Amino acid sequence: MLHKLIPASEFTIEELTYAYNQTRVDYLVPMPMNAKRLEEYVHHYDVDMDRSVVAMVRDEMLALGMLGVRPGRAWITRLGVLPASRRGGVGESIMRYMLARADESGIPLNILEVIKNNAPAHQLFLKCNFHETRELLILRRPPGSPKVLPKGQCRWMEQEEALRYLAFHPVPQAWTNHIETYLNSGDVLGLYVEVNGSSGWMIFRCQKFILTHFVMHTEAGDPQVVGLELLRCLHQKFPMKDTYVENITVDDPQLPAMYAMGYIEAFRRIEMYRHVK
Amino acid sequence: MHTILLIEDIPDNAMLVQKILTSQGYEVLWAKTAEKGLELAGKNHPEMILLDLGLPDIDGQTLVGYLRNVPELEKVPIIVVSAWPEDTARNMVTAYGCDGYVSKPINVRYFIEVVNDYFKKEEK
Repeated sequence: MLHKLIPASEFTIEELTYAYNQTRVDYLVPMPMNAKRLEEYVHHYDVDMDRSVVAMVRDEMLALGMLGVRPGRAWITRLGVLPASRRGGVGESIMRYMLARADESGIPLNILEVIKNNAPAHQLFLKCNFHETRELLILRRPPGSPKVLPKGQCRWMEQEEALRYLAFHPVPQAWTNHIETYLNSGDVLGLYVEVNGSSGWMIFRCQKFILTHFVMHTEAGDPQVVGLELLRCLHQKFPMKDTYVENITVDDPQLPAMYAMGYIEAFRRIEMYRHVK
Repeated sequence: MHTILLIEDIPDNAMLVQKILTSQGYEVLWAKTAEKGLELAGKNHPEMILLDLGLPDIDGQTLVGYLRNVPELEKVPIIVVSAWPEDTARNMVTAYGCDGYVSKPINVRYFIEVVNDYFKKEEK
């Protein structure tokens, strides 16, 4: 039966949350949300509900997709189809709807991430003219103090100063770690360290139970030394907090330091871009 | 009778686990969210927690980290029940100091063994 596409803004956040969770029940990494979390997600990542969409047949929500919009770029996210409705073209229909909304606004770059080994989704994105850009890691570290204490100079930064550093990071960040995300969330801190002739900084979100949204950079010297010093300072100050690091590139120079500090890989994503001429 | 707290957001999964465990003589408390799980754990001091890692309000790992920092709950055994790929789930279980892992969909016989064995060991 043919489905209708309806802007997500015509639904309540509770309805969208329910639909989103139903589309993910059998995912490789199920990540259910409640309405509060989805609402924060929409706000933090600049999801445009008028250009996000739900596929309906009669009164049933079959699928949904969300479109984040920031100057010069758009982000496809939360795309999901109910298990029983897959392989019927609903996902592609939602993708093409959102890409058309982005294109008619003249947005030159579309971005998305797909969980590694989600072959059907990956194939769909290739078909929609996305290409792979890089592999991203999702890492976890349980609460706990560092085994070795920091050895150098450590300076904490408030949001404004930390964002100034982020603005000059030489590597483009994943959508989740763009400056807008930190501005929207507000719970941002930064850290600058100098140790044995090496120096660098990090920015992160400091939430009630958890540290998230890391970006690190080595300005001078050895990235492993800088990474270790940053993480020792961080976990010494917040030993009770869990850590969830999302979308670190597989070639991040500080990555060996993260593994040395007890971070473990949860899963991987593939970032993909679609350039519009 | 041993009391087990089940923290699981999908009602069908929760009903299955409840049915299995009550048939084995356990009392089962069910929390659909991490927040409710924390509340029930604090009030009832269960002898075991069965935990789904993917919860809608706070994810399972963060909840474990929190539970391990509550003095009256820090030693409660936590068995992770998860659909995550087995290697990843086992790494998480070890890193977060959980006590066991059962993969979804549940193999009923194995699941009963894991729970019964834990209490038998405790009684010795």
